[in-house]
Amino acid sequence: MMKKLLSSFLVLSMIFVLAACSGGDKSVSGLKKDDKPDKGMKVIGDHVKFDPNKLVNDGKPISIELWTWFGKEVFQKQADEYQKIYPNVKIKVVNQPWEDYWKKLPLQLKGKDGPAMFNVHNSYHSNIINFMAPYDIPVDALNQDYIGVQPHVIDNKVYYFDYGINTGMFYYNKDMWKEAGLTDADIPTTWDQFRQVAKKLTKRDADGKLVQAGFNLNGDGYKAMIAGLGYQKGELLFKEDGKTVNFDNPTTVENTQMLLDLYNKDKVGSPDFGDDSTKSFGNGQTAMVYKWGWMQGELKNNYPKIQWGVFRTPTPTNDVPFAYDRYNGESTPGINKNAAKEQQAVAQDFLKFMLAGNDFVKDFSFATGTFPAKKSLANDPDVLANPTNKIIAPNIERYIWPGAFPSAIETVSDKVFQDIFYNKVNIKDAIKSGQEQMEKDMSNSDFTSVESKYKFFSER
Amino acid sequence: MLHKVKVTLFNLLLLFFSFITVFPFVWMLVSSFKSNSEIVKIDGSFWPEHFSLSNYLNVQENFHFMTMFFNTLLIATVVTVCIIYTSSIVGFVLSKYKFKGRDQLFGLILATMMIPWAVTIIPKYDMMMKFGWIDSYAALIVPSLVSGFGIFLMRQNIMTIPDEVIEAARIDGASEYYIFHRIIMPMSRNAISSIAIFQFLWVWEDYLWPYLVINTDTKQMISVGLAMFNGQYSTDYGGLFAATAISIIPVIIVYIIFQKRFMEGIAGASVKG
Amino acid sequence: METIKGRNNIGVKADVKHKNRNIFTLKNIVITLLLVYFAVFLIYPIGMAFVGSFYNWNPLNGTFDFNGIKNYIDVLGDKLFWTSMSNTMIFSIIVIVCRILVGLLLALALFSKLARFKTAFRTIYYMPTITPLVAVSFVWVWLYNPQFGLINDLLGVDINWLKNKDTALGSVMFMTTWKDFGYATIIYLASLMSLPDDCFEAADIDGASGWNKFWYITWPLLKPTTILVAVTSLITYLQSYIQILVMTQGGPGTSTYTISYLIFDEAFVNYKFGTASAMSVILFIFISLLTLISFKLTKERS
Repeated sequence: MMKKLLSSFLVLSMIFVLAACSGGDKSVSGLKKDDKPDKGMKVIGDHVKFDPNKLVNDGKPISIELWTWFGKEVFQKQADEYQKIYPNVKIKVVNQPWEDYWKKLPLQLKGKDGPAMFNVHNSYHSNIINFMAPYDIPVDALNQDYIGVQPHVIDNKVYYFDYGINTGMFYYNKDMWKEAGLTDADIPTTWDQFRQVAKKLTKRDADGKLVQAGFNLNGDGYKAMIAGLGYQKGELLFKEDGKTVNFDNPTTVENTQMLLDLYNKDKVGSPDFGDDSTKSFGNGQTAMVYKWGWMQGELKNNYPKIQWGVFRTPTPTNDVPFAYDRYNGESTPGINKNAAKEQQAVAQDFLKFMLAGNDFVKDFSFATGTFPAKKSLANDPDVLANPTNKIIAPNIERYIWPGAFPSAIETVSDKVFQDIFYNKVNIKDAIKSGQEQMEKDMSNSDFTSVESKYKFFSER
Repeated sequence: MLHKVKVTLFNLLLLFFSFITVFPFVWMLVSSFKSNSEIVKIDGSFWPEHFSLSNYLNVQENFHFMTMFFNTLLIATVVTVCIIYTSSIVGFVLSKYKFKGRDQLFGLILATMMIPWAVTIIPKYDMMMKFGWIDSYAALIVPSLVSGFGIFLMRQNIMTIPDEVIEAARIDGASEYYIFHRIIMPMSRNAISSIAIFQFLWVWEDYLWPYLVINTDTKQMISVGLAMFNGQYSTDYGGLFAATAISIIPVIIVYIIFQKRFMEGIAGASVKG
Repeated sequence: METIKGRNNIGVKADVKHKNRNIFTLKNIVITLLLVYFAVFLIYPIGMAFVGSFYNWNPLNGTFDFNGIKNYIDVLGDKLFWTSMSNTMIFSIIVIVCRILVGLLLALALFSKLARFKTAFRTIYYMPTITPLVAVSFVWVWLYNPQFGLINDLLGVDINWLKNKDTALGSVMFMTTWKDFGYATIIYLASLMSLPDDCFEAADIDGASGWNKFWYITWPLLKPTTILVAVTSLITYLQSYIQILVMTQGGPGTSTYTISYLIFDEAFVNYKFGTASAMSVILFIFISLLTLISFKLTKERS
């Protein structure tokens, strides 16, 4: 009896496995054939246009994948709307955590079963550019609708561009702020003021054990800050050749010392309190953190109970600095040139749909705390009312873009942070070996800095 | 009397070790019934203040956890069965036939056990892409059809079966296939069960290979699923505890049910040769 | 290899002559399939890795340029490579010793006449071994958490176990020992049960003390088991990777990098397949040498 059961189970599983062995998931079941080109809808868009009144893939059922590490719901909303217009199309949005995303995506794109569309981060440019197909949209039209497309033009083609700009700022917990007797007038503008505020926001229990950190940079705080802080003092991130990273310099040492002193001298936090500053802030155990725009979406999704505000990164003095911080673009999705021709065609059409309308750029800007580069959104009241945009907008020209530098700089900065804050390595030594490691990791990169194009470059 | 005290103390010591062994599981299980805010609370208590099942309900909602669980069960079973068969038949040939280069072949098989995954993983991945097996179970099954460990174990075991048994069958006119399937296989039950146990476990906890070759959530294996879940919902500790519990508890239950056979299998396979 | 051959000769007595001249015999089919399989899934990948280790190899932009032994020079001159190597060695040796010690101790305890509820204890001790490594690694990350982890509460200390360079590797080693000792316990227990009873009876008659009995009788008899556990552990631990990935990501700084973690990082994060291959070839040679040495040593002694 047992034997029979067992063998029938085995036979069943073999059949199942054989069925599952038949390759990637290209299931188009449940999709209808579309035979109505006239959707009775208006053409969308100013210069980048999307005309809905046509058949996609000749009306035959087709399914494509779109990969992202963030903002699945934003893509899903676009996909749902697109699928409503074209019932023969299925766009499957696949979410992968950031780390996994960049390990798996490039290898996937290399094969023929990779996703037809994927979200892009410009620091991984060199890993994916060889697998991207150019946009099927005239460059002129893109230039007319979006600012800042030009730096992304390669041989008169666009493979992806930045739909908005993003930068770092301080997030603070409003309830703690009030509890410490602070008001809006106490928002710090210099680092000295920041130290004082942070001290007031730090709480310890009777034994002197930290229970609330005034400031926390554990996790990604240091690597996010250190690449931008130098600009406040006019120190560039790249040397004169535009290729060699300028990490090992007195300014980096000084800035690192300042951050370390916040922990060691002012005792407003600890490397061992709140392992991950994002979670620690979200769990209401840290009062202030430095994060980029994405934190807005993170707080909204995962920590809706936290009352938070933002302020601009403080500067050494009250004078206007060389630049407040660096900024970086948030990029539009790429199209996989190794995907099947039909899939690429659908992806191109879906891309037009997203870029011609305002919803995608707007929703995504909110999710990532990005200032949108679409001209038609420049005066949008929702965009202007967004708290992070309110911080960036007034000084937008005082933020510098070094270019989409390779991720190695952030990865190595993180090791430097751990060496200094956890392994107690001497700051100068850690930064020196960080410089060496960065140079080594970037030896294959063809990146060139665009710092010299910064408006106030001559002020240095 | 003295003996009784000795026995009690001795067993208390064993109990203490048992406690160390199980407390991570117990803690995880208990914590999985806490809410997230209760878990992250500084100086929180061991037992949940408010017992809640919501972590478990959400795991099912957010994630294809049970799907992955059954995928893994399936692949682990299939791979294990295949390996048992290949190991037995190769073990049989290596122990009961004499041919040129046999010892070299066996040496080669033993040497495969020393090859670090890191050496072969890059070319193997490349190969899977060329075969078009990425995101299909063929990539999980085919490259792991032969196991050096399995062959080694079976060879040692089948060697202890007397040749007379085979000769007698041959005189009766039995074919080689009949001898293997009807005589050798049933006589190696112990070794087979120990291979089954180890192999199943190895497939069950394999991470790197499925991580690289499988992309679709609904096809993924449980180890990878768990790590992904951790990346995706890293803020939701309650959910993570529940997910981890789900990935562990069923294995433990299966183990407790089969543990008697399990022990016999290992004992039978222990260190022969 | 010497040992392996030596062993085979003992077992070769079982020579079965087959009379039919048909080339499609069971033997021929099996050997052919096995050789084909090995050629495709072992020889080719190993050859590829070996060849690739002499190339500047990046699959993403299609680079595959011969650059001689530059990869090897780079790897051997890389500080991180040596840190990873020494971490791997420390990790392997300590965990193997702990695994054998704890495993043997508990096996002896369970074998002893004093033990009660043997099945229950045995079941419990083996539990961590059968749970997936990824899952238990996560559990221990939380146990070690300085804010809500149980370990600091139990010990009454305030240590950030996984972020302190003095404790990080040790914490991972402790977890690994906890996870794996059960395997050693079961294997030892199984071979204790199969030991001939008359050895112990003779010793009892001689009135040998417990310690003497262990040292002069049990331990030498258990030697093959110890070798089995040690060698399989060595091969496994020299390749440890998942614990590191989940628990420390090689940190703090680079203080818990192991060689396999470094290889994975180099290959699938930096896409330097050439240097990654060079590292794995070195690791392969290293493992082979260690295994050969341990076989040689045991052969000489016995």
